[in-house]
Amino acid sequence: MLGLEGYGPLLLQGARLTVYVGVSSMAIAIFLGLIGMLCKLSASPVVRFFADIYTTVIRGIPELVLILLVYYGLPTLIQDITAALGYPVDISLNPFAAGVLTIGFIYGAFSTEVFRGAYLAVPRGQVEAARACGMSGPLTFRRILLPQMMRFALPGLGNVWMVLIKATALISVIQLPELMRSADIAAKNTRKPFTFFLAASLIYLGITIISNIVQQWAEKRAERGIRRA
Amino acid sequence: MNNPGENYTLPASAVRIKDLYKDFGRLQVLKGISLTARQGDVIALIGSSGSGKSTLLRCINLLEIPTSGEIHVGEEHIRLARNRRKETVPADRRQVDRIRTKLGMVFQHFNLWSHMTVLENVIEAPVHVLKTPKKEARQKAMTYLEKVGIADRSHYYPAHLSGGQKQRAAIARALAMEPDVMLFDEPTSALDPELVGEVLRVIQDIAKEGRTMIMATHEMGFAKEVSSHVVFLHGGVIEDEGVPDYIFQKPASERCRAFLSRFF
Ligand SMILES: Nc1ncnc2c1ncn2[C@@H]1O[C@H](COP(=O)(O)OP(=O)(O)O)[C@@H](O)[C@H]1O
Ligand SMILES: [Mg+2]
Repeated sequence: MLGLEGYGPLLLQGARLTVYVGVSSMAIAIFLGLIGMLCKLSASPVVRFFADIYTTVIRGIPELVLILLVYYGLPTLIQDITAALGYPVDISLNPFAAGVLTIGFIYGAFSTEVFRGAYLAVPRGQVEAARACGMSGPLTFRRILLPQMMRFALPGLGNVWMVLIKATALISVIQLPELMRSADIAAKNTRKPFTFFLAASLIYLGITIISNIVQQWAEKRAERGIRRA
Repeated sequence: MNNPGENYTLPASAVRIKDLYKDFGRLQVLKGISLTARQGDVIALIGSSGSGKSTLLRCINLLEIPTSGEIHVGEEHIRLARNRRKETVPADRRQVDRIRTKLGMVFQHFNLWSHMTVLENVIEAPVHVLKTPKKEARQKAMTYLEKVGIADRSHYYPAHLSGGQKQRAAIARALAMEPDVMLFDEPTSALDPELVGEVLRVIQDIAKEGRTMIMATHEMGFAKEVSSHVVFLHGGVIEDEGVPDYIFQKPASERCRAFLSRFF
């Protein structure tokens, strides 16, 4: 019953794609999270307003709806507009790019909050000491603020990653053959849904267990010098 | 400070403040401060808590932006401007960064960077701001750490040091920039009493080398012995000032006398 009937390689390929999608989306999420944090801390009320809109709206809409909206909705919207203007074009998105961008965009909103909390947790004196030595704003951010923020951000980012990697299963709906979609194909073709969805579950679990180990190592590193030896 | 009649040119001014005002919203904290530190001066800022000592020091290196007034560091005048919201802002951030490299600041709460060892703390700004080669910066850092007596702790993280060691490391960090002027903001106020002496001794050694210093302090014995000039702040104005003998023996200001009577 538990034989994979030759679908093992397909599952592994799916798992590999899941990790790719996860890592790429996480990179985008971290990048957007840092930008979002800087916007939320901006002196300009307009910039702060748009950052608030981003985090509130994105966190308030189910991931699945956003993925479908971007993958199917966006191209049709653009096609309708260009058709109305008299220049009909045919657009379809690459599922990998659409999935990664959408997931990165969604989890960028969660990361924004994680980074904002981490920023507020760094004592002001740390930054003041840097500025008092003549370090510029960007240099202070890179050398002092970011390393110290990481200590406070890592637990939250780890959380974001765990939820994100599971959310990648949702992009199976846009035909990207990641782990979930591969398991689905194998299950349908062999009529063994239990076997393949169980196999997929175990692979997801394996990914999160490895992630946990990496996270613990990273958190320890970030706490260098903080904990009393 | 001024010795009229003596045939002697005064040293150049290291820091010159003219008519400095600072408000925090509706709260007026500094109300027209003028003060000059000449090269080699050791100025003690005394006054009760809330009198504006920290704010004055923080205005000198622009950690606080003065509401109005002039600040000169060495030959340079720090240019200020107004932004759209009518707040005072530095006209040229690069100038501010450059001037800050000439002003070493020592904070009440040390503010050592907690993710770096003592040595990394000391070489950070020389390497990344002054672009000193790392090897040279390390050698210099070790001489400063020796001077403050914690060379043997150079690979410790701040969390593993005593308060006195932390403050001495912070002093080494400031000295490593080879600043023209050192600013101390109550450097011993956060220390356990038995650790105050070791830090004061280090500061005294620096003063003896002829380095210009401005120091907010509640250590009156130290101010009396080490400073060349004492400034008594009260309610954001200089209520009285003069050589230590004058301030500690016959200050004109009644408030200054009352303040000092709490210490002696
Ligand atoms: N960032 C700030 N915002 C608002 N008020 C401040 C700020 N910093 C200092 N103050 C106020 O300014 C006054 C002078 O403070 P400070 O310069 O720290 O005095 P001192 O160092 O002599 O104790 C105090 O009343 C303090 O509450
Ligand atoms: Mg103070």
